[in-house]
Amino acid sequence: MEHSFSLPNSGHNYDAKASKLGMWLFLYTELLLFGGLFMVYMVYRALNPDAFLIASFNLNVWLGTINTVVLLTSSMTVAMSITAIQKGNSKLSLILLALTVAAAVIFLVIKYFEWGAKIEHGFWPGMDHFTNLPFGEQLYFYLYFFMTGLHGLHVVVGMVFILIVMKKIKNGSQNKNKNQLLENSGLYWHLVDLIWIYLFPLFYLIH
Amino acid sequence: MEDSYHITGYAEHFGTWVSLILLTFMTVFISVFGADLNTLTVATALFIASVKALVVAYYFMHLKYDPKIYRIMILIVMSMFVIFLIMLIFDYLTR
Repeated sequence: MEHSFSLPNSGHNYDAKASKLGMWLFLYTELLLFGGLFMVYMVYRALNPDAFLIASFNLNVWLGTINTVVLLTSSMTVAMSITAIQKGNSKLSLILLALTVAAAVIFLVIKYFEWGAKIEHGFWPGMDHFTNLPFGEQLYFYLYFFMTGLHGLHVVVGMVFILIVMKKIKNGSQNKNKNQLLENSGLYWHLVDLIWIYLFPLFYLIH
Repeated sequence: MEDSYHITGYAEHFGTWVSLILLTFMTVFISVFGADLNTLTVATALFIASVKALVVAYYFMHLKYDPKIYRIMILIVMSMFVIFLIMLIFDYLTR
């Protein structure tokens, strides 16, 4: 090929703006997905305020706080890694992304222990202890497991996304001039953080 | 890249992080130690969460330096959400 013409959607053209807009459109659908769940939560909490309060005492506020700090910190490192690559420092960008992935792992490990303790005490839907709980408390635990579970799934996806980008930075296909994939994975990671910012007070901080 | 874009400095990201951490401790503190007024604490917690969400969106997600279209679009999405919310509240209040 002697000329550099490339067909749209052939994978050879790079359009950072369109890519970013597409990512944002996807994030809007995510906001509405979790928004719907928050509405379900709101209605059931309004109908069972006391049961939600009692059930929330089973969660550990301090573990929740630690996880909040972990996620906020990882949001900072991913934002800084974008700064680093835009300044042409791929190495620093990789280190910051590795820290982000480490934070994601810490978050998931803490979540694993939290869920493990709940399941050990029989709060998983269908277990004996769960079935004997008042209806309002059952609703709380349905929502707790579903919403934090869906959020945890997003953490895993975001982590994979970042790992793929790390590989691309290593082989040079994400660089100073072409880094929209990194920015998009950053946006996704911030969304994960954003959702946790609401999940945390709604499940852990009821008083 | 043909057009210049804004590069956020490391210090600004760090400052954003500090403010988010402070807000987190504030909301935990209010919830754990100041839990007398039931509805007020819920409202405060949600208010602080929204401030944090705005800080994340504006600084970490770069909305502050992005073209206006992104802010307009997020406004449309949030208004849609609020409309759903109002319809839902009316539904439950009128049963």
